[in-house]
Amino acid sequence: MGASSFLSGCFTIALVPGFLQFPPILKRYGVHMRSMRKAVYGLVLLFLCLVSIPAGLSAAETGEYIAIRKEGSGKIAIVLQKPDARGKRETGWAQNLDTVIHDGLSFTGLFSILPAPLNIFDTTDPKNPVLNFGALNSVGSEIYAGGAVTRQSGAVVLDMTVYETLSARQILKKTYTGSEEQIRSIGQAFCADLVELLTGKKSVFGTRIAFVSSKTGSKELYECDFDGQNVVQMTSSRSISLTPAYSPDGRYIAWTDFTLGRPNLFIRNRADNTSVAASRNGVSIDPGWRNGSEVATTLSFEGDQEIYLVRLDGSIAQRVTRSRGIDVSPTFSPDGSRMAFVSSRNGLPQIFVQEMGSGAVKRLTFSGRYNTQPSWSPLGDKIAYTTWENSGEINIFVIKPDGTGLVKLTSRSRENESPSWSPDGDMIVFTSNRDGRKKIFVMNATGENQRPLLQMDGEQMQPSWSLFRK
Amino acid sequence: MKKEIINGVLVLALIATAGCSSSDKATSGGSMAEQPVTSTGPAIKTGYGFDQWQQGPLGDVFYDFDSADLSPEAEQQLKDNAAWLESNPRNNTTIEGHCDSRGTSEYNIALGDRRSSTAREYLVRLGISPSRMQTVSFGEERPFDSGENEDAWSKNRRAHFIVK
Repeated sequence: MGASSFLSGCFTIALVPGFLQFPPILKRYGVHMRSMRKAVYGLVLLFLCLVSIPAGLSAAETGEYIAIRKEGSGKIAIVLQKPDARGKRETGWAQNLDTVIHDGLSFTGLFSILPAPLNIFDTTDPKNPVLNFGALNSVGSEIYAGGAVTRQSGAVVLDMTVYETLSARQILKKTYTGSEEQIRSIGQAFCADLVELLTGKKSVFGTRIAFVSSKTGSKELYECDFDGQNVVQMTSSRSISLTPAYSPDGRYIAWTDFTLGRPNLFIRNRADNTSVAASRNGVSIDPGWRNGSEVATTLSFEGDQEIYLVRLDGSIAQRVTRSRGIDVSPTFSPDGSRMAFVSSRNGLPQIFVQEMGSGAVKRLTFSGRYNTQPSWSPLGDKIAYTTWENSGEINIFVIKPDGTGLVKLTSRSRENESPSWSPDGDMIVFTSNRDGRKKIFVMNATGENQRPLLQMDGEQMQPSWSLFRK
Repeated sequence: MKKEIINGVLVLALIATAGCSSSDKATSGGSMAEQPVTSTGPAIKTGYGFDQWQQGPLGDVFYDFDSADLSPEAEQQLKDNAAWLESNPRNNTTIEGHCDSRGTSEYNIALGDRRSSTAREYLVRLGISPSRMQTVSFGEERPFDSGENEDAWSKNRRAHFIVK
């Protein structure tokens, strides 16, 4: 009657004693001295991250437990108890926080949220009810999270405690404080801590998604929270604004804009909202960032559509491609050493990978006659792209940078385009017209759990997921 | 509904004239007999480069799927356009590159750029000064015919001439 019987997939928890701590992303159990040292650094970093949050870390033990989620494994079974509250106002807060946390954890696709067993508390001593781990384990729970909401000097104070239920071990205890207006942020701060603790990776909480919408009648840029909330319009050019791309550090956004009469590259500094337009003859199309300081984009001022690296001030640093035909849609490996892009050098568009150092180019895609829109995962291990298939459908695929491991993620749902990875590499945001007009959807990186991201008038397209946290 | 019928009539008209030589079509200005009446008014010119979205004096040129190559009809239209530009030296032109809605939008901006460029380069070879011709690619962003069929797509794969 363990978790595995409850879940469809297989999920591995590594229960690691305090003296044998693994780095969270370590996937094998073999330990030698170097990885031990790395593990300790990792945990120290984890502690520092937790402590540095203004709300304050109120208890320790954090990091003794690391769940290692296998690639493509099943979900983490969690019992999520609505925070306790006394008083009408606090009860309302607790309800809202419960919803935020529930929605947040659901969104990640990492969790299977179980209903709490009736006898979740052992009330043998009615004055001091204790968590009934036996009952939790019997419903297949792996993780329990619960807490209490109180009001202190008008502020919302959320105390959360998380247990690994099989060992009855407390793995996180933390206090989050903020104003009533910050309830969403408070709940998501807890979600972020929990996900990072269990997966060892940066989470999507606090990240943003930029996209294009025709809501006003012309295509403008917008952005929203990772979960589609808090939509903000970013341009009002009443022209055509396309293909937004956040810089890796989130300080800039680059896009293609027709405001000056033809498609130009724009780079906006997010701090002061000043924009640089890299205006040249011909086009500038579909920027892709290489590290934080250079944008690759297609320019045609020399006659052919070639990819160039452009500095933040709009000046050209380097021409990258040299081939007859279209070269477009650059996307880079996380270290910037390799660039995947679309080229029509062999006829119909296919995806190629170029070594930035040597300039050596290899064709990546051989399946499908029309392959475009590559997006390199922030983890570096995969490239998502789209194939326009003979059926007329456009579908999203992922492939490893060496050309192996091809997997189809969408099917029988009309046109699915513009994949962009979440910063943790676990999700993909994309455009689909499966329900009629083009809308933004999200899915797990495995292709599971495809659903709309937001409801909004007009069409939405070309999403770009940021890497940073607000 | 109405628009579809009009488009249908237009398609029939195009098919009906398809047998004519391209020079006949390009110089048949003034004939309005077979032109459908549209909200934008009757076309002044008929034939290969002219339709409800292009009424002259310069005619548009059309392209095959995923191609920026010029067909013999396109080259003839460009020769006519060159002649007009030669005899109207005070006018300049902007050549817009357009694509159908299929394929992906980023790639189509590049394809539209190639289409407007091949048209411009051909005119340069015919002796028109490059300084008189600007190009701009709209990719699939400004389709002429919003239909989702080959008739509509073939109309949207064009270099569109605007006289200045």
